[in-house]
Amino acid sequence: MAAFKVENINLWYDDNQALIDVSLDIPGNQVTAFIGPSGCGKSTLLRCFNRMNDLLPNTRIEGNIIMQDGREISDPSVDVVKLRTEVGMVFQSPNPFPMSVYDNVAYGLRCQGIKNKKQLNTTVEYSLRQAALWDEVKDSLQRNALKLSGGQQQRLCIARAIALEPNVLLMDEPTSALDPIATAKIEDLMQSLKRMYTIIIVTHSMSQAARISDQTAFFLLGKLIEVGPTTEIFQLPKDKRTEDYISGKFG
Amino acid sequence: MITDKRQKNKLASCHRRKLWQDKVIKRIFQGSAILAALMILFIYFFVISRGIQPFLPSYDGDQQNVLSFLTGNRWRPDMNPPIYGVGFIVINTILTSLGAAIISFPISVLTALYIAKVAPPKLRAVLTTIVELLAAIPSIVYGVYAAGTITGLVDDFAGLFGISTYGGNSALAVILLLAIMIFPTITSLAVVSIRAVDRNLELGSIALGASRMETNFKVVLTSAKSGIFAGLALGLGRAFGEATAVSMVAGNRMIGPTLNPFDITRTLTTTILTGMHETSPGLDYDMRFSVGIVLLLVILVTNLSIQYVKRKVGGITNE
Repeated sequence: MAAFKVENINLWYDDNQALIDVSLDIPGNQVTAFIGPSGCGKSTLLRCFNRMNDLLPNTRIEGNIIMQDGREISDPSVDVVKLRTEVGMVFQSPNPFPMSVYDNVAYGLRCQGIKNKKQLNTTVEYSLRQAALWDEVKDSLQRNALKLSGGQQQRLCIARAIALEPNVLLMDEPTSALDPIATAKIEDLMQSLKRMYTIIIVTHSMSQAARISDQTAFFLLGKLIEVGPTTEIFQLPKDKRTEDYISGKFG
Repeated sequence: MITDKRQKNKLASCHRRKLWQDKVIKRIFQGSAILAALMILFIYFFVISRGIQPFLPSYDGDQQNVLSFLTGNRWRPDMNPPIYGVGFIVINTILTSLGAAIISFPISVLTALYIAKVAPPKLRAVLTTIVELLAAIPSIVYGVYAAGTITGLVDDFAGLFGISTYGGNSALAVILLLAIMIFPTITSLAVVSIRAVDRNLELGSIALGASRMETNFKVVLTSAKSGIFAGLALGLGRAFGEATAVSMVAGNRMIGPTLNPFDITRTLTTTILTGMHETSPGLDYDMRFSVGIVLLLVILVTNLSIQYVKRKVGGITNE
């Protein structure tokens, strides 16, 4: 079942068209990778799924993104705050808040008005375990999150998103600021997380897309060039441009 | 071959010149820093060495007792022998400055948040200019304004409770005056530090389903904490140190402390300032330096307390 059905999305920043007639399905409980050179629109499309583009002035969107429950994502009946709790996001560089590890993970819940100490404790532990960070921080939950290493910070940001029990996790180049060891940990984590969440990841690393994703979509200059199972895209790309990009001829 | 050698020499001399320039510039910077540090040391040394004189046995006037100076509740240089007690003045100073900070700090922080995050760009520019203009008004102008307007308001306000004042000259007038004077200081520092908050933190908060306002209060203000408290420290420093304007509305109470806001008061700075030109070298002159030492101590202790409070606020201790 598709977590999102993207139908003919066109998006403009002022007069620049960033997405041109993009249509694809995002299958549930799989990892979908968006690849393509810088400025191809992959991050822009990612931000459509939790409507972060709403925050940018002079942005215009046409087309539909149908959610699992059948509603269109920009429908007036969709509560954008609730949408963002259901569709979590992890950013390019780790951005933990300048608070304790505990407060970071509890942040989203507290914004939802949850104050019950027991419930918070349970969720914080659960989320940190899910993000494979619990063993490293369980004795220092009150420590400043900014004192963690970059890789730990990024896993904390994943835990922070998981705490809200989302259906979907959006990841915008989550490992581009991390070293290879921290990257490997995050990639392992994604493999275990996809059982519970639909994951969409934007990545500049072709090998990362090949390693972790089930489906890959290749974008170029705002257009979706090709989408399909990752093995097919990497072994038998149908489009010449896809082949050139993954074989490193440009990008 | 020759040109090659020449070029090498040229490169080497260029490299040497750069190294040499680096060294000179480094010395210039170092010199400026040392000069600035020396100025502070000189001021402290001068004030302290002069201010402790009256308490030393070698003093060629009436030797003063440190304890009764620090804890005294009367300042009567006009008596014979004169009485110099600074304890109640310290309390007055702290009460008026803290009162000003309590009024001004929340207003400043909310204004800063509005300017930096909420206001539309045009209004933002206008407000920023206004705050900068407020900071540039000389204290004597604040003083005449307070003497002409605030005192009248205080007098009317006191009248509502059937209290008569000394023409509005009062602790409350000092508090209101100082609140206005420190507002631009705290606000402009807070604006700068709020603007410096990483946009990714805000996006992270919004992506977690927080509203704009939740983001502003829970993430932006917490992140800008250091700068905001630096503004508070500077603002309080200005409040403690302001003499000219304060002396125009404080009155000149000789005993204390002043706990009634409608009563006249006396602060450390007004004590140093008042009668400075009439006095002649001697005990009365030297005691002003002693008061100066106390003022420096009050400011030092306040800054340390602000550091402590800053660590406690925002739910995390800065390790």
